[in-house]
Amino acid sequence: MAEIIMPKMGDAMTEGKVVRWYKKPGDAVKKGEPVAEIETDKVNLDLEAEAEGTLGAHAANEGDMVPVGGVLAKILAPGEKDEEPQRRATDKKDSIKHTTGEYHEAIEQKGPRRDRTEPETAPAPATTPAPSPAEGERRRSSPLARRMARDLGVSLEGVQGSGPNGRIVAADIKNAKSGGGGQAILPVLESKTIPLSAMRRTIAKRLAESTGPIPHFYLTADFDVTNLTSIRQQLIDITGAKISLNDFLIRAVALALRHHPNVNASWGDDAITQHGEVHIGVAVATPEGLITPVIRNADTKPVSAIATEIRALADKAKNRKLKPDEYQGSTFTISSLGAWGIEEFTAIINPPNVAILAIGAAESRPVVHEKQVVIRDRMKVTMSCDHRVVDGAIGAEFLKTLRGYVEQPLRLVV
Amino acid sequence: MSEKSYRDAIREAMMEEMDRDPAVLIMGEDIGVYEGTFRITAGMLKKYGPKRVIDTPIAEAGMVGTAVGMAMLGLRPIVEMMTMNFAIVAADQILNHAAKVRYFSGGQVDVPLVVRGPQGAGVQLSAQHSQTFESFYAHFPGIHVVAPATPADAKGMLKTAIRGRDPVIFLESAALYGMKGEVPDDPDFTVPFGKSRVAREGSDVTIVSFSRMLQLSLIVADKLSKEEGIECEVIDLRTLRPLDMEPVYASVRKTHRAVAVQEQWKPFGAAAEIAANITETVFDELDAPVARVTGEDVPMPYARNLELLATPHEEDIARAVKKVMYAHG
Repeated sequence: MAEIIMPKMGDAMTEGKVVRWYKKPGDAVKKGEPVAEIETDKVNLDLEAEAEGTLGAHAANEGDMVPVGGVLAKILAPGEKDEEPQRRATDKKDSIKHTTGEYHEAIEQKGPRRDRTEPETAPAPATTPAPSPAEGERRRSSPLARRMARDLGVSLEGVQGSGPNGRIVAADIKNAKSGGGGQAILPVLESKTIPLSAMRRTIAKRLAESTGPIPHFYLTADFDVTNLTSIRQQLIDITGAKISLNDFLIRAVALALRHHPNVNASWGDDAITQHGEVHIGVAVATPEGLITPVIRNADTKPVSAIATEIRALADKAKNRKLKPDEYQGSTFTISSLGAWGIEEFTAIINPPNVAILAIGAAESRPVVHEKQVVIRDRMKVTMSCDHRVVDGAIGAEFLKTLRGYVEQPLRLVV
Repeated sequence: MSEKSYRDAIREAMMEEMDRDPAVLIMGEDIGVYEGTFRITAGMLKKYGPKRVIDTPIAEAGMVGTAVGMAMLGLRPIVEMMTMNFAIVAADQILNHAAKVRYFSGGQVDVPLVVRGPQGAGVQLSAQHSQTFESFYAHFPGIHVVAPATPADAKGMLKTAIRGRDPVIFLESAALYGMKGEVPDDPDFTVPFGKSRVAREGSDVTIVSFSRMLQLSLIVADKLSKEEGIECEVIDLRTLRPLDMEPVYASVRKTHRAVAVQEQWKPFGAAAEIAANITETVFDELDAPVARVTGEDVPMPYARNLELLATPHEEDIARAVKKVMYAHG
């Protein structure tokens, strides 16, 4: 009898993950044949059988973390009986039972308002926004959506599904028919906890060691806000309402977060939590110091409502009347020093958020616009990101989406 | 029309039919001298005497077996179960005899038998006395299964049951006995089996239910309309066997979404049957999978707080409606 054990692939390695089993218990294996794929914090590799025989029971499941030296399975000689392992390879105290592979991004979902008619064992593995299916991959769609698409002559290709798992539903077809783009439909956000992969743990540890508890990095973008300032002025002229550019930015950020759940998140030692709702903290200066009242579900509120709410909250903040639930629970924070004429600045992340957006002043500047040097209203924003969660490209994608909303501001008011 | 309770509607139906047809009689535990545990048979012993209002021993199999024999020989017995939970003891008589005599006799012998009584949770009767049985009986050919949601339906369908040729399981909701509603005064008012009705019109989501959960669904529909502008169409199945799905299909063709609501446990329940029928027949109309709202998969707890948690709540129905609408936030 031979044993397949979790190998030690480097001095620092204490455990590895079983990514997948190539062989089932009872399968015949040849010497040198790959039996399982494992993942360490550096590499993925195949474990090969060291003897010929029949594979015994799996002592660890796919996705399990197994300490170095832990037995994953036995290879049985002919006639040898398979004994039930005395204990699972994952039983050792160091193991992390819920870690799963990046390959499947299997997700443990949590939500306070779970539909209790839904069995616990069948969570919809919703990933939002839905990844675009690869070439030839089946696109999920409701029967009605397919029938409507046929009747209306709309191709499902290129339609972004807004339902669970990217399912294309009737509303998406209607939207596609009326010329709306994929982005017009807001993806559904769901609360979920993503267990840390070995790679993510390593990134987090190394970055934290180098730059302190939160490894910050900064992304600056220069938005054209000519249309936004114009719309704001028109709204003020028509309604007489007090609406600031900042109020529009709150809504724009909230909507952009709907497309980027990995920014609407928090870091935990074992997992990253993506929040199912969007709550925007807004830094307000008071004589005593800075506080961040929260606009809850800002993605669902019109700009006018945000304007009214933030003014009421700011007044309360200045009078020290804010209640805890009015300044706790943000999922993202924005800070604006535009009113002080600051062109651009960097803000410090407001934990447990993983990013903060620093908004500079909107200013008229000469810029090249449609191949002419013209005067346009511009605004610089700087996003501070927690690198443990938000990598550079993720932050940049978020700013790209945000730019779409800010530079096409009708999308903020329709 | 006059306003009557569900309880009085049932008693009136029985008394009117006993006045109309001397072959009709009722038997059960504590229904005569004691006038019924839920007081459905109040005054009946006095009026019709012990030959037609028969107090039985605590022996359900014997009661139903006797009644099957009476029915085969031309009488029209009504057997009251103190609760439908006790009818389990008589399941062999109901399912293996009453439901099969016509078949076995080559159509020569009918069994015009009504087995009626309360079922369901909500009145703190704990695990053995709070169950619902519609899917249990509706599984079997040879019997009708009736579950009225209103006093008018309770009266009209009980009269149809008593006048018919077939064995009928008549499931009353213990929690609805006190509910009042308009009931037609015509002594020949009957409600046919196998005719679902649209209890509330709407355009956004179809809710399918029956008995007490129908009433809960109507409350939710009104609330969603007022508070969120969601218009639910609510369909009352009234009878589980025969099952009339046509109004449901018509509604789903309009709303493209459906929620099935039942008090019973989720596995193999009426809601599953409804969902499967919708999927088989109007699959191309669906914009979302049919959602089910059901009781929790546990024996019914006695404690009031736990009983409330184990039975479908208004919020569960509202959540299911929003789920099939892909509504959030």
